[in-house]
Amino acid sequence: MKPEDLDRIFARAGAEHHVEQQVEPELLRRISAAILPGLRPVRPMPSDRVIVAGLLLLTAAVGIAGASILGMYGIRKLSGFEAASIFVVVGLFAWLAASQSAAEMVPGSRRLVNPAVLVCTGILTLMAVFAALFGGNAGSYAMDGFVQQGVGCLRAGLMHALPAAGGTWLILRRGMAVNRTAAGIAAGTLAGLAGVTMLSLHCPNLRAIHVMAWHVAVVPVSAAAGALLARALTFRERSAARRS
Amino acid sequence: MHRDADLEQLMAAYQQGDSAAAAALIQRLSPQLHRFFLVQMVSRRDADDLLQDTWLRIHQARHTYRPGEPVLPWLYAIARHIRVDHYRKAHRTALREQQMEVLPEAPAATGGRTDPGPDLEALLGALPESQREVITMLKVSGMSLEEVARATSSSVGSVKQKAHRAYEKLRGLLQDRGLLRDDTP
Repeated sequence: MKPEDLDRIFARAGAEHHVEQQVEPELLRRISAAILPGLRPVRPMPSDRVIVAGLLLLTAAVGIAGASILGMYGIRKLSGFEAASIFVVVGLFAWLAASQSAAEMVPGSRRLVNPAVLVCTGILTLMAVFAALFGGNAGSYAMDGFVQQGVGCLRAGLMHALPAAGGTWLILRRGMAVNRTAAGIAAGTLAGLAGVTMLSLHCPNLRAIHVMAWHVAVVPVSAAAGALLARALTFRERSAARRS
Repeated sequence: MHRDADLEQLMAAYQQGDSAAAAALIQRLSPQLHRFFLVQMVSRRDADDLLQDTWLRIHQARHTYRPGEPVLPWLYAIARHIRVDHYRKAHRTALREQQMEVLPEAPAATGGRTDPGPDLEALLGALPESQREVITMLKVSGMSLEEVARATSSSVGSVKQKAHRAYEKLRGLLQDRGLLRDDTP
């Protein structure tokens, strides 16, 4: 069967269907009556570039401000090459997450990458970069220190992801997410990267295992929190709709 | 099929508060949206409700349309969202009522049609939901692969793959019904 054969069959079936199943004029009148009275002009959402730039500025600002307050101990221990490698990868990951967050808030936008794939790929890339840069810094590392220091870093990273998430919500709130879970993952990932930025600038512990486990963990935890929050909001709205 | 440039102008005017443009959009796009819902195996009454809900949502979210962008992917992404919501609701209701099967309303009378040609619901009803959706957008709404990809938040490759699988299934179905010759390449 050629595509044209199928086109012909669909055109015929569609034409018959059209005659049989036309929209009732009364229904169109009802829709018009619900929409047209009091119709007011609206301001279209800003372009993706503007939104992405705003989100990236916010992420960088939260990360840098947090590290400035806590102390820039980490960046002082990094060589120029190490700092450049880390921030190029974090920046690229943040740009993808910001682009995806912006796209998720406009129905019918071109999707760069599935947000879940973005999180997994980004995490693996970050871990690979940290392993390559700090793989030689093994040293002796007692488990107590590993967990104690690690939990502190994870907590600090998540504490910085929170204001970043709030700011991200403020920037994206005018949009409409047709897939809220995906939007939550993308926004949560971006907020988590604000935490990673802060930790990269602040934390002087450059052992590969610490950075790979605890610094990177901020991203999946934050992305999962974003997804859960989005689902909770959807559930709440549906419950409210059912009650009404 | 309405060309996008025209729809884009109407959409931009609708955003500016032009009632005539909004009325024109409702008149022009409602039939294809209604058909999109009907071929997804919902009853006519449900399709009417979904159409109404979709327009209300479009109205609330009209500021998210960006002038100059194609209208149909934006519109169908919203319609699809409404349909998925409806499906979830219907599924929950069915579970609560422990109903094993929900039969769609009988199609409208065919007015004494004697031609044994396939009807749209029967053709598309044989396809899985995701393929049916893609074929409806491509063949019934006349959207491009890129537009369907945007409306369904997927890649062009994925849309192509679903369309190809749907063609294969439809080919078998039409051959079984004797509507296609076996020697058709």
